[in-house]
Amino acid sequence: MWNWRITAACTLILILVMGAAVSFGPIHISFQQVLRTLLDLPSAEHGENRTVILQLRLPRVVLGALVGAALATSGAVYQTVFHNPLADPYLLGAASGAGLGATIALTSTHHNIASLLPVFAFLGGVLAVLTSFFISGKFFAEPNTLLLSGIAVGSFATAIQTYLQQRHSDALRPVYSWILGDLTSASWSVVSWSAIYIGFALAILFSVSKQLDGLMLSDEEAFSLGINPQRLRIFAVGAATLATATAVSASGLIGFVGIVVPHLVRGITRRVTNRSLVSVALVGASFLVLADLGARTLLSPAELPIGVITAFVGAPFFLFVLRSRRKANF
Amino acid sequence: MMTSGSITVTDLVVHYGERAILRDINVQIPHGQWTCLVGPNGAGKTTLLKTLLGMTPYAGSIQDRSQEVFKNQTRNIAFVPQSPSIPQGMSVSEYVMLGRSKKDGWGKESKKSRNLVKEILVQTALFGMHNSFVSQLSGGEMQRALIARALAQEPDLILLDEPTSALDLHHQIAVLNTIEILKERGVTIISTMHDITLAAMYAQNIIVMQSGKILLSGTADQVIHSPELKAAFDNRIDVFTLDTGRPVIVASKDFPINSQ
Repeated sequence: MWNWRITAACTLILILVMGAAVSFGPIHISFQQVLRTLLDLPSAEHGENRTVILQLRLPRVVLGALVGAALATSGAVYQTVFHNPLADPYLLGAASGAGLGATIALTSTHHNIASLLPVFAFLGGVLAVLTSFFISGKFFAEPNTLLLSGIAVGSFATAIQTYLQQRHSDALRPVYSWILGDLTSASWSVVSWSAIYIGFALAILFSVSKQLDGLMLSDEEAFSLGINPQRLRIFAVGAATLATATAVSASGLIGFVGIVVPHLVRGITRRVTNRSLVSVALVGASFLVLADLGARTLLSPAELPIGVITAFVGAPFFLFVLRSRRKANF
Repeated sequence: MMTSGSITVTDLVVHYGERAILRDINVQIPHGQWTCLVGPNGAGKTTLLKTLLGMTPYAGSIQDRSQEVFKNQTRNIAFVPQSPSIPQGMSVSEYVMLGRSKKDGWGKESKKSRNLVKEILVQTALFGMHNSFVSQLSGGEMQRALIARALAQEPDLILLDEPTSALDLHHQIAVLNTIEILKERGVTIISTMHDITLAAMYAQNIIVMQSGKILLSGTADQVIHSPELKAAFDNRIDVFTLDTGRPVIVASKDFPINSQ
């Protein structure tokens, strides 16, 4: 049965974390003032602080939550579909494709194209995954073939990206900064289009999450239980890729969330990951909002790349969960 | 549950790429009985089993209750694979409950299903470990969990791929006795099996396959005592009859397995 208590606790944690993230920064604004401003109550902040809350921090926090939820959920789905605990959302070339798209935009001599970086990154990611599907043949008859073609397509895209970087050395810094991920470009317009795509993809994944149990079995067993395994895999991977490509185009490549969070939730809930997909999304959102809070406050006023924080915090935590899991033979 | 009639296979051919894995298969498999597919490795037993499930494309015809089986998910079938994928983080009772998914809907559990699963867990001696993870089960326990899930499906037809391979004799008998519960309920059972002696002990019908073709089929008694059985195994088996009348089939000592 669905453990609603865990989901409720994860929701509460996310709300608190988001509140704290809006409150903390180079200009400290109290939690109560943040709440008053958000709810537009009397004695809400005005002037500069109001702009900081509503136009700078809030869109960034909301985007962080969306990206974290997208990456964590996609990671959990990829791990289930590919029967591989190390699968991450970038597995099928989404990261390399998006990286290539972003590099093309950043190395372009036309300024107009550079401003279209998110679009280029999104198209690059989606095209790379579609190419992986196409090359694997039989449209996903065999998950391992798809996985291998994803690796090949990813390597090819990275090779072109490196070539372009070498040809345009002035673009090296912005490209690397993008590769390490950041949420500085967050604005309400980025938040709104990200929310549409990520919301749509997550709605699909949540709706099929219970059926994903069947993909943990062999295709023959799934078929006998009334599932069309090939169709469900295409559906699930398609939605997870849409969420990932949107996240990457909005915030660059943020590693580790897609692997750490599903394992973390599984370690805590001791349930099959896809049965706690909503909790995975909520924890992913909290994790990334916290990581971004660390990224912008630890060396304030300078900012650390968010990928550094996710790996710095995520890696030891992941090892801890892994060790406890091994002890429990889980 | 319907126990008369049969699954009718006519001129069946199955290809993997250019290679024909099954050729000219014509056979009738009776409903409500246990039929065993036997034969050497590579004979096409597992392919025939998966084709009967309806997942493998084929030429020819397989009719079950007047319906072609390919991609037909209206049939009530349970499939027990030889090497199952073990879902991480799933408890034994959740695993057995998967068998109710088609009836209850995914992620839902009716009260009837909960009671039935509890009953099945007791029946298959898994009740004490219902909260353990399936990844913690031994080979014999995992096989029982697979059969328990199949029982929970309340199937009309169960397909088992080598249900006793990799089990010691004690566990082989335990698993086969559990499958017999289904036979008593009138479920059609089709299994592949390497051990012809065990096949003769449990199944009513035996189909002997070699190189993608059916060499011999009939009741267990007819097939075991047929002179063609030895030919099917290149004369590398001996058939003995015990005082109890039970046949025992063993590899012939005079023809080492690796000799030509």
